[in-house]
Amino acid sequence: MLLVVAVFGSLASAAPAPALVDLQGTTRVGDRTEPHAVVWLDAPAGSMAARAPRTILDQRNLDFSPQVLAVRVGTVVEFPNNDRVFHNVFSFHDGKKFDLGLYPVGTMRRVTFDHPGLSRIFCNIHPNMGAHVMVVDTPYFTVSGDDGRFTIPAVPAGTYTYHAWRPGRPDLTGPVVVAPVASLELRWH
Amino acid sequence: MALKLWTTVVCATALLHASVASSQSTVVEVTQTVGASTEDIAAVATQIRAFGELGAGVRFMGEGAWGARSAGETDAFGAAYPYTNRLQVIEAYGERTFQPGRFLVGVRAGRYRTPFGISSASDHAYTGFLRAPLIRYDGYFALTNNSLEHGVDVIVGVPRLTLEVSTGVPGDVGEESRRPGLDTVVRGQGAVGPVIVGLSYSNTKPYQPEYFAFGRAVFTGIDVRYMHGGVEARGEWITGRPFDGTTTTGGYADLIVHRPLMGPVTAVMRIEHLVYEAEEPFELYGLRYTFGARVRVFRQFTAVINVIHQTEDLPQRRPTSVDVGLTYSLRSRQTR
Repeated sequence: MLLVVAVFGSLASAAPAPALVDLQGTTRVGDRTEPHAVVWLDAPAGSMAARAPRTILDQRNLDFSPQVLAVRVGTVVEFPNNDRVFHNVFSFHDGKKFDLGLYPVGTMRRVTFDHPGLSRIFCNIHPNMGAHVMVVDTPYFTVSGDDGRFTIPAVPAGTYTYHAWRPGRPDLTGPVVVAPVASLELRWH
Repeated sequence: MALKLWTTVVCATALLHASVASSQSTVVEVTQTVGASTEDIAAVATQIRAFGELGAGVRFMGEGAWGARSAGETDAFGAAYPYTNRLQVIEAYGERTFQPGRFLVGVRAGRYRTPFGISSASDHAYTGFLRAPLIRYDGYFALTNNSLEHGVDVIVGVPRLTLEVSTGVPGDVGEESRRPGLDTVVRGQGAVGPVIVGLSYSNTKPYQPEYFAFGRAVFTGIDVRYMHGGVEARGEWITGRPFDGTTTTGGYADLIVHRPLMGPVTAVMRIEHLVYEAEEPFELYGLRYTFGARVRVFRQFTAVINVIHQTEDLPQRRPTSVDVGLTYSLRSRQTR
């Protein structure tokens, strides 16, 4: 059973243009804060103008960094190899399917994540390496930090549908009113 | 003894330093394996690895292992660990890699696996295989999986073409340990598309006793790796002399297939050959085929089954055997 608690601050007085709000909140599992959860808001039509930037999913110390990456549709993710051993990044199961083959330290491969959804990323050489890439079709998204806190910056005030994902749990979803001094508390049980 | 003490101190210092460094990451892996073979042998092993960054670009690796098996007259379960029934430090080193412009320079110091052929820790367990290749098994007068160096390893080049030189003294674990003395390994490696080719040369002391084995152990090898689309093909071929008056030639070829439709199953196949030429009755000829599968059973649990058929005169108990292993692996990360 999912229990979602959204706490809203006072609504701002009506204004000609919606104020931009930094939506803050915390992700939890039970009473424990949950790091590295992806939180995003469905974007209203017409808010998709910004071009998705490039970002990096590093391979360092036989590990992916970060473990959870959230990107917009169309983002080019770079996979540099910063270990002295070879890596072979691949994703077979769902989301974006690709296999980058073997490549050595000091080199890099790129993947364009062009459809929304979750991709599970592995290395064919090192079975204990794993990461998740969540591709979202909105500019309003973030990943919670080590303390479970997150901030989605510069969200126009208004009503949205939020989504939250973490590995091994069903997604949380529901309505949220974004207003100044608003916060979004998300909890998996 | 001093070198062993030194490497232990390096390892302990590295781990201690890692625990107090700021904004660095440390990964600790624990792997527990149990297995049995129709060659009337059972084995159990634990491996602990810790690796991460110390700061200023310096990384560390520490690996310890304990392994035991119920019999010793077989090479079953010889892939990843020395089965000496005592806890041993396998690797303990620090390394720093520089990338000035398009170039690559790396320095590694401490205790590390002999960089001959396909030798990195991740390849060393030969994922999906429960036995080391014949040319890498203790006692078959060739290389051994349990060769370690106490020394310094330098790699230079560009990412797709490197030259690596290791100089040190043997620090072997397992049943066969090379005699003390300076040893050198030189390795060149090039990558063309998805294909990686390496050439290795090793000049060291034999592991056989001095009254029996004269001269030096000298090996040359070539290794090839290819991986794409869930298909990995790799192999090594070596030739050389374990000591004066003898020669060893042999190699193996692996095919490892994990396609999307195979779900949690990875299929593995190996064919290998070994010829050790010496005065009768010490010569040895071996031909071995391995078919098997690695299955991710549940989360961190992985099962491996191998069917091995061997011909000619390898000192094994049966021409056909079945090995089964179950591994539990746990990884913990800490970022500060």
